[in-house]
Amino acid sequence: MIVLFGQYALLLAVLTTLWGAIAGALSGVSGSEGLLSSSRRAIAVSCALLTAVVAVLEFALLSDLFSVRYVAQNSHMTQPLQYKVSALWSGQSGSLLLWAWILSVYSAVAVAIYRRKHRALMPWVQATLSGVLLFFVYVLAMVTPPLAVGAPQADGAGMNPLLQNYWMMIHPPTLYLGYVGFAVPFAFGIAALLSRRTGEVWIRTTRRWTIFAWLCLGTGILLGSYWAYIELGWGGYWAWDPVENASFMPWLTGTAFLHSVIVQEQKRMLKVWNIVLIILTFSLAIFGTFLTRSGVLSSVHAFTGSGLGPHFGAFLALVLCGSLALLIWRLPDLRSEHRLDSLVSRESSFLLNNLVLVGIAFAVFVLTTWPIWSELATGKNVSMGQPIFNRVTIPWFLVLIFLSGIGPVIAWRRASFRSLRNSFLGPFVAAAGVAVVLLAAGVRQVYPLLFYFCSVFVLGTIAGEFWRGARARMKTAGESFAEALGRLIWFNKRRYGGYIVHLGVVLCVIGIAGSSAYKREYTFEQVHPGTKMECDSYRLTYDRHRLESLPEYSSVVMEATLEREGRRLAVLPAEKRSYQRVENPTTEVAIYSSFLPRSVRDLARVGEDVYFIPVNVDPESGLASFKIMINPFVNWLWLGGVVNILGTGLAVLPDRRERRLMALALEEKRAVA
Amino acid sequence: MSGGTDARKIKFLITGLLVAGAMVALFAVSLNQPGAAYYISVTDFKRGQAHGDNFRINGKVQPDSIRRQPGGMDLSFTMTDGTSLLPVRYHGVVPDTFAAKADVVVEGELGADGVFAAHTLLAKCPSKYEAAAQARPPAGGG
Repeated sequence: MIVLFGQYALLLAVLTTLWGAIAGALSGVSGSEGLLSSSRRAIAVSCALLTAVVAVLEFALLSDLFSVRYVAQNSHMTQPLQYKVSALWSGQSGSLLLWAWILSVYSAVAVAIYRRKHRALMPWVQATLSGVLLFFVYVLAMVTPPLAVGAPQADGAGMNPLLQNYWMMIHPPTLYLGYVGFAVPFAFGIAALLSRRTGEVWIRTTRRWTIFAWLCLGTGILLGSYWAYIELGWGGYWAWDPVENASFMPWLTGTAFLHSVIVQEQKRMLKVWNIVLIILTFSLAIFGTFLTRSGVLSSVHAFTGSGLGPHFGAFLALVLCGSLALLIWRLPDLRSEHRLDSLVSRESSFLLNNLVLVGIAFAVFVLTTWPIWSELATGKNVSMGQPIFNRVTIPWFLVLIFLSGIGPVIAWRRASFRSLRNSFLGPFVAAAGVAVVLLAAGVRQVYPLLFYFCSVFVLGTIAGEFWRGARARMKTAGESFAEALGRLIWFNKRRYGGYIVHLGVVLCVIGIAGSSAYKREYTFEQVHPGTKMECDSYRLTYDRHRLESLPEYSSVVMEATLEREGRRLAVLPAEKRSYQRVENPTTEVAIYSSFLPRSVRDLARVGEDVYFIPVNVDPESGLASFKIMINPFVNWLWLGGVVNILGTGLAVLPDRRERRLMALALEEKRAVA
Repeated sequence: MSGGTDARKIKFLITGLLVAGAMVALFAVSLNQPGAAYYISVTDFKRGQAHGDNFRINGKVQPDSIRRQPGGMDLSFTMTDGTSLLPVRYHGVVPDTFAAKADVVVEGELGADGVFAAHTLLAKCPSKYEAAAQARPPAGGG
């Protein structure tokens, strides 16, 4: 009964969304106020209807309605409550429903906020948002209905136990909040083209939407890697898997967009480029959903065989070609009002940053989709391995890190030699000093040296910015250092939030470079309880094994005592679990992280993990094989991620200064019109 | 005046082209380097059979072919792409996602005994690629 209600709500949502798009577009053409508010109401109703569908599916999951096919596939009677809730997005049609629902909520919020603003833009914004939503609602209603009813079943198949992890619960929604979030700036970009208001208004209006989407996408990627690290049990966090790349590509172009809009705001240049970037970013966000959901990479045949592939392909082509055609049509409206003067300027460094980011995204795109092209061209499905991704991208990441030290500090238009020396000499000397110390300490690999050099250089320029800004306030306003620093940040949230994000990125880089270059692995085969395993300066003693039996799974727990230099650090419990419904056992690694150093030599161990993997165990005798990895600096990556989130959070807060600039931009528009 | 603008434009154009050219060059060089091997299907591997060298092959795990050493690190199984079969032996950490019918990638070389000796074993995440698993046409269908 309630399922039927949900099915009707979904069908109805197709109609209301369709009307939202039509009324919006008609209002854009005719200027009708009535149609505009009609479209607005349609968007609100679509949001309410989709909320109802989500509620019905969630209700079906929680009350074990196994007659609903999706519930039978993704849940079972004794599945823990939190995983019954998250089963909503563990399968295909559920996660598409989540996509559509988030988009409808974003759209409803956006039209509510801008109800009385942007009269010229809103009709097209509403038409674009509804148009995108229409596709997803249509696919949900016609191709993969989430509430389809099958034969009644006593129990369901249940969720894959690997996905039953706290981080995996929140990873997909976070990622989707990011993917979908780019729809709002995209809609404003399209509206700017259609209404021929291509100044900074659309960019300033969507600034916080973009940052929020970027934050969610980045956080989602990080949560995914953290989940891979603690759950998948191979000791790494990134494998250039297509699923990872799918989320990384829009993040790259989104990062480029966040930077290049600054140039348009300040210099009124790069107008075309910004539109191109937001079209690319949004298309890649859809492409990411498509890549993970259509199976196109396993085989082109799977793509044509599954119901979803062709629909997504057509929609993607429409979005990409339609937007680009529109862009070409409006090119005359998008002239730059300034020009590039010097290669040594902030404009140039931002341009280079954009070129590199888009270049990396393009390289990742080609390598990820290689199976498609190779199968189409030669009939062979050939995929690219990890090393080639690293080889192609790492040098460019190095350039990016270096630029993140230059870009925010260097002067607009043309930087003088004197200003360059003032801003960069100190950080450069510090970085060179650290490089020399590292060389003296025996570091010989080129990439780690270069990455640490750049990291210190960027840290130096950021510190310099904070120091100069705070000192200026101390002089003029007579504030204490802490007070000056606090106010400096609070009244320039965007700028200093950005610096904090750069700081976070540098911490991530330190973590990634260190853990990739200096990780060490030790294998111990067929050891009996009581065996001492020496690795590095650590000693792990395999104490005992015990069997545990829970309703969900039974497991073999292997306990090992970790010591270093005679000091007992922890007992590490690693586990092999066998879930009832799954044939292969799952591995639960045990991780010990060091944080506080006890001596100068220990400094290199700050953020180091001992990663204890049970490879195989004989439950009877306890005879087991282990792999132990020492992952230095890896916790810097997670710390950097948290700093990133804090910095972005700061930049997204309302800011008086940004509001004033927005008002100014609006004034100017009116004066021109 | 216009001469100055042109010179400036050319300067930026050349810089941009240099950067783009460097990216393409790096890409091309990396593609051709040995060891950057991309992976191929079981059938394609068998067709161009060669011993020695490093190969990366993807396929599915044949059900009921998995043999594990109790408490040890040895594993053997048969890999298939629906058309051809390839016996594989491996020594090391087996990912949790490894199971019958799972999509796997092995890297290594073909031994003289006709068994592929893998030094790397990767298995694809099962939750994704759902449509592929459901909609894969019968082998040889294309």
